[in-house]
Amino acid sequence: MFRLNLKIALRNLWRNKVITSINIGGLAIALAAFILVTMYFTYETGFDKENPNYNEIYIVGRQLPDFKTNYTPPPLGKAIKAEMPEVVAVGTMKMSFFEFPVSSDHGVVFLSKCLYLDYAAAKMFNIKPTVGLTKPESTTENLFYLSNENYKTLFPHNKNGQPEMIWLGSKSANMTGKLSGSIFADPHSNITFDAISLMKEVGIGENYGYNNYSTYIQVKPGTDIQELEAKINTLYKKEMLKNGEDPNNETFKATKAFLDPLKNQHLKPKAGTDANYKVLIALSVLGILILVIACINFTNLSIAQATKRAKEVGVKKVMGAYRFQLAFQFLTEILIQCLAATILGLIMAEIILPKFNNLFVVNLSIWVANSALFWQLPLILIFITLIAGIYPAMVLSGFKPALVLKGNFQTSKQSYWLRNSLLVVQFSVAVVFIIGLLIINSQLKYMRTQDIGFKPEQVVYIKNLAYFVSPSKFDPIRDKMVKIPGVKSVTVTNALPDGSDSGKNKYTVDGKEQSLSFTDVDFDYFETLDIKIKEGRTFSREFKTDTANSAILNEAAVAKYGLTSPIGKTIKGCQNKEYKIVGVIKDFKALGFEKAVQPTIYAINDPCGNPKTEIMLKIEESKMSEVLSTLKSQWPEINKLDGDNFRYQFLDEMYGKLFKKQEQLQSVFFAAAILTIFIAILGLFAFAKYITTGRMKEIAVRKILGASHLQIFKLINSSFFVMVLIANIISWPLAYILTKKWLETFAYRIDLPLFPFLISAVLTILLTIVTVSIQANSAVKANPVDALKYE
Amino acid sequence: MIQLNNIEKYYANKGIKNYVLRLVTTNIKQGEFVSIMGPSGAGKSTLLNIIGMLEEPTYGSYEFLGEDVTSLNERKRIELYRNHIGFVFQAYHLIDEMTVYENIEAPLLYKKVGSSERASRIADLLDRFNIVAKKDLFPNQLSGGQQQLVGIARALAAQPSIILADEPTGNLQSAQAEEIMTLFKKLNQEDGITIIQVTHSEKNAQYGNRILHIADGIVKEDVAILS
Ligand SMILES: Nc1ncnc2c1ncn2[C@@H]1O[C@H](COP(=O)(O)OP(=O)(O)OP(=O)(O)O)[C@@H](O)[C@H]1O
Ligand SMILES: [Mg+2]
Repeated sequence: MFRLNLKIALRNLWRNKVITSINIGGLAIALAAFILVTMYFTYETGFDKENPNYNEIYIVGRQLPDFKTNYTPPPLGKAIKAEMPEVVAVGTMKMSFFEFPVSSDHGVVFLSKCLYLDYAAAKMFNIKPTVGLTKPESTTENLFYLSNENYKTLFPHNKNGQPEMIWLGSKSANMTGKLSGSIFADPHSNITFDAISLMKEVGIGENYGYNNYSTYIQVKPGTDIQELEAKINTLYKKEMLKNGEDPNNETFKATKAFLDPLKNQHLKPKAGTDANYKVLIALSVLGILILVIACINFTNLSIAQATKRAKEVGVKKVMGAYRFQLAFQFLTEILIQCLAATILGLIMAEIILPKFNNLFVVNLSIWVANSALFWQLPLILIFITLIAGIYPAMVLSGFKPALVLKGNFQTSKQSYWLRNSLLVVQFSVAVVFIIGLLIINSQLKYMRTQDIGFKPEQVVYIKNLAYFVSPSKFDPIRDKMVKIPGVKSVTVTNALPDGSDSGKNKYTVDGKEQSLSFTDVDFDYFETLDIKIKEGRTFSREFKTDTANSAILNEAAVAKYGLTSPIGKTIKGCQNKEYKIVGVIKDFKALGFEKAVQPTIYAINDPCGNPKTEIMLKIEESKMSEVLSTLKSQWPEINKLDGDNFRYQFLDEMYGKLFKKQEQLQSVFFAAAILTIFIAILGLFAFAKYITTGRMKEIAVRKILGASHLQIFKLINSSFFVMVLIANIISWPLAYILTKKWLETFAYRIDLPLFPFLISAVLTILLTIVTVSIQANSAVKANPVDALKYE
Repeated sequence: MIQLNNIEKYYANKGIKNYVLRLVTTNIKQGEFVSIMGPSGAGKSTLLNIIGMLEEPTYGSYEFLGEDVTSLNERKRIELYRNHIGFVFQAYHLIDEMTVYENIEAPLLYKKVGSSERASRIADLLDRFNIVAKKDLFPNQLSGGQQQLVGIARALAAQPSIILADEPTGNLQSAQAEEIMTLFKKLNQEDGITIIQVTHSEKNAQYGNRILHIADGIVKEDVAILS
């Protein structure tokens, strides 16, 4: 029985190849998207989930009057451990973002995320060195481990991650240290690092003012967290007062300690942004929506085919088939298609995965042994089979033999409004994405073509750890570099124009105090970046005072003070240092397009500034590769202070990273637009097929009565035309609000254009007419006699 | 075998009852070969559908094999289809996706007949109707007459006690029609299968042993044919 049904199912699917492939293909595409979203969801919600104490670990944070932070002082953890019996363990750690090199005979690695943590924290997060976790003997002992990747670079021949000797810092400084081994840095954990420094205790001697540690606690299962939070808060306040805090200090009064579960740390930490969480939810909703819509389309298409199967149902019933047997048969058929769609979807997902990984900066893989997909996929399969199959199975198996066997059977015209509204919803979603995509495109095009006020092209940024505060220190280095043919200019600064924030300080002009961003520069800064001067001049060696007390402002700063003739005016900065304004430059978009140009002051001599370490060179395009290789070979000669390693980046690429988030959004919208259009068209196709087969007879009669083909096309198209128009009208305000909100996140943006709205309308209407007409064509072309004869 | 008492059937349209059958009372015994005749729209198909339990009468009672089946639940009705009733249609209604063999096999599968028994019964039927060579063909590869032979073979496969046929030769040419009618007569006489057919042809009706003439939903005449 089952075998025969299977055979019939396959023959049936084969006979209706087009419909079958549309059905399976449509579902497969939606499934591919859904599989990716599911994988991403599983990944994003799975940070640290392997930890056996996942649900019992909390981070202690502090709520200050205007923000929340996870940085806490090291004695707090100790106090909690000492006073709270329900806290099983307290782990304390600190991340150092200071970049420093570590080298061996085989190579060098640059550590920028070195984690200092105590033994308790290592145990809590299951951080295990390859050679096993050992507890440092004394509080002065410090076990240093490198992540497996870094270890491999330094000791490519070591198999077991055993201890070795290494050079810490610049090799020429010849400071050696003991490396205790290698360690696995789990990328799927909230605790990331490229090296760890394991201690028995961290933050010894640091009091309640040292708010730069993370304190994790592990509680007993079943602990009342709210109660514990209150107790910890009381403890924190008590300790702060003991530590000499003024009880009347407003900030202190408003400060509170809170607990935040480990499972929320990655996506929605209390201290931090939940943007990723929102993105994840939006993606999940989109994924489910697309899948459900695809399933409903599948349903519709199956029912559109129903007339063909009605006879079979009738005959089988009079041969003695129960309704449930027929329903089961149809469900089997749909299961087969869903299975095919799942397999196809999996293949598609596999093909798209590299792009997806690239886009979301993750490293997901389908074929891993413990993949959650192995149990998720069968569930998904059952789920889609049921939502796509139940209704057609019920409808088809419910046909009355007496009716269907009469011959002139037509499936009922009920639930039209349901189909209509489904179609409208599908097109509305598609229209929103089309408009969104077009507007994102325009804004990105604007960002790429707009003058940013400086030229990052052919500017090379050289990484350097040595400080060049005074120009005299940098001069010999610059001189050596400028001598290389092809180098146009060289400068050093404390902040690159790659979107990084520079510091802020208070400055006074004419008695008016304002907060300005400051950038500490050296000679040739403006020349290297090709920044236009508006008034006055740039820094020049001809003026001895420039290295002492000259300053240059940008237009925004001038505007902030409301100066009319700024040149020659005195501006007073920190430590009452007075500068003379020698020039005004045109604003340039160092921060990209989202943030407005900051009012900025540029000076060579800044007693309160940050050390200048960032070297920039402008190089002739044609000589680029030669200059880079010369620099590489001569670098130890040129930069005696930090010449071990020549590492560089192109400034335009660094600046381009500011666009990355928007490009990601663009890709998501592109995929979503294609997907939603495709699925809407699929739905339309099913619906049009349903309608035209239902109206075969009517069309035949009209033709006999003398209607032309065009008139019939118009007749069939008109209702769809109206629906798509409605979908557009519904979507326009929605898309308008959403895109306007999005554009408002840019300081520099296009005016909301009109054309995306028109294009989306034209596009959807055109696609509708084509799709419907393809369907209508068969009805129009058919010989009316055939349609009328079948009695 | 079949006892119809005061069967009425009407369709209500805007409150007006359109009667299709009026007070039909008749008895059909085991082994009879009855032809129902009458003008188009007289209610012949409706009557046959009621006998076949595809439609329910609006009024009246119906006993099949001594059991009241006027309004039967689906399970019981299907039980009767499996064991007692075979249908033959004017438009054959073979399942297009199944071969000749599979079409004949289908009712046996629903009846849960064992596979060896199934094979022998089908082989027997194919042989008897001379369609062994066609067993792997699909319905659309057969002529109308051949399709109807398969339709009858299918109806017989479950070894029913009665065959209901609505214009079984309506789509066939006279030579083929004759063949089908001879077959019916043979089934009736040699196997004792009760046959009720609707037909427009006086000639076809002569193959049976009784004719019910209906017009406007009323049985006008009930004549026996003496052979
Ligand atoms: N679903 C229905 N609704 C309303 N009237 C119906 C319906 N089905 C059948 N009828 C009516 O019942 C009457 C009898 O139909 P039936 O099919 O039994 O006729 P018939 O005798 O078989 O005719 P023919 O020889 O043309 O097949 C017809 O007048 C028809 O209009
Ligand atoms: Mg009829």
